Amino acid sequence: MANIEPGVLVTIITIIVSSVGIVLGTIVPALVEGRAVLKALEGMTRQPQVASQLRTTLLVSMALLESTAIYVLLIILVLLFANPLLDRFF
Amino acid sequence: MEDVFPRVAFTVLGGIPVRDTVVSTWIMMAVVVGLVFVARRYNPALLEMLVDFLSDTISDALGRPAEPYLPFLGALAVFVTAANVIGVLPFVVSPTRGINTPLALALVVFFSVHYFGMRTKGVFGYLKSLATPIFLLPLEIVGQVSRTFSLTLRLFGNILSTELVVAVIFALVPLFAPLPLIGFSMFTGLLQAYIFTTLAAVYISAGLGDPEQKNERRS
Repeated sequence: MANIEPGVLVTIITIIVSSVGIVLGTIVPALVEGRAVLKALEGMTRQPQVASQLRTTLLVSMALLESTAIYVLLIILVLLFANPLLDRFF
Repeated sequence: MEDVFPRVAFTVLGGIPVRDTVVSTWIMMAVVVGLVFVARRYNPALLEMLVDFLSDTISDALGRPAEPYLPFLGALAVFVTAANVIGVLPFVVSPTRGINTPLALALVVFFSVHYFGMRTKGVFGYLKSLATPIFLLPLEIVGQVSRTFSLTLRLFGNILSTELVVAVIFALVPLFAPLPLIGFSMFTGLLQAYIFTTLAAVYISAGLGDPEQKNERRS
């Protein structure tokens, strides 16, 4: 461990952290979006007359839930392609 | 992989960089205007269908008649849809792939919310309605700014991520394998355009206030 260059070490740690982060960051929004769709479908089958209203609300709230996964993705992309820590070693 | 990120196409006026997203925005504008002229010449019912569809969708999201807001929100919908889908043409990239175009669109939405709110309620009425419980004013300001950034990052992140997936699959299997993913990226682009327009309409209607109270007052 002692004879690895700092830049290589930062790169390895970045790759590992990115993989773990993107997995965790997409699992949670996917589960929560599934719950939202489930509840909205139950509501649509119970009251079909408000289905269009429910659909709009569902899409908007799914976009809001989805944005957390997108934030995780953007942070991972910054880490992978424009890592600010690498400049300290090279 | 590096093709996914915006590059500087050329520089004007001694050092102002013009990126390829801007150039493809010009191409996209020419394509959209050309399509509209062709449709007006040969099949005007198509344009009526488009306007009716946009009006229905926007009035659903607004919760009130869409006519005063249809020029702005409909243009936004057409622009974002064309910008997300134009990337399938060869030598043209999606303008929403760089962060500048979504940021510009979100800033337009941010200012239009306040413009429509002030036009409906008056300047002081709108400012008063923003700060009605005065201790909620900082939260309101934080909410206004953060939802502008979340609009930006949602559009940018979705388009960039689907294009990255296509680029990765293209690097692995160049022949025929990226085709379903390109179709999926077009679907994501259409969905994101719908979501962008719906969220802009929801923000505008939140800035306008409650429509039910207005109707009761009228009737």
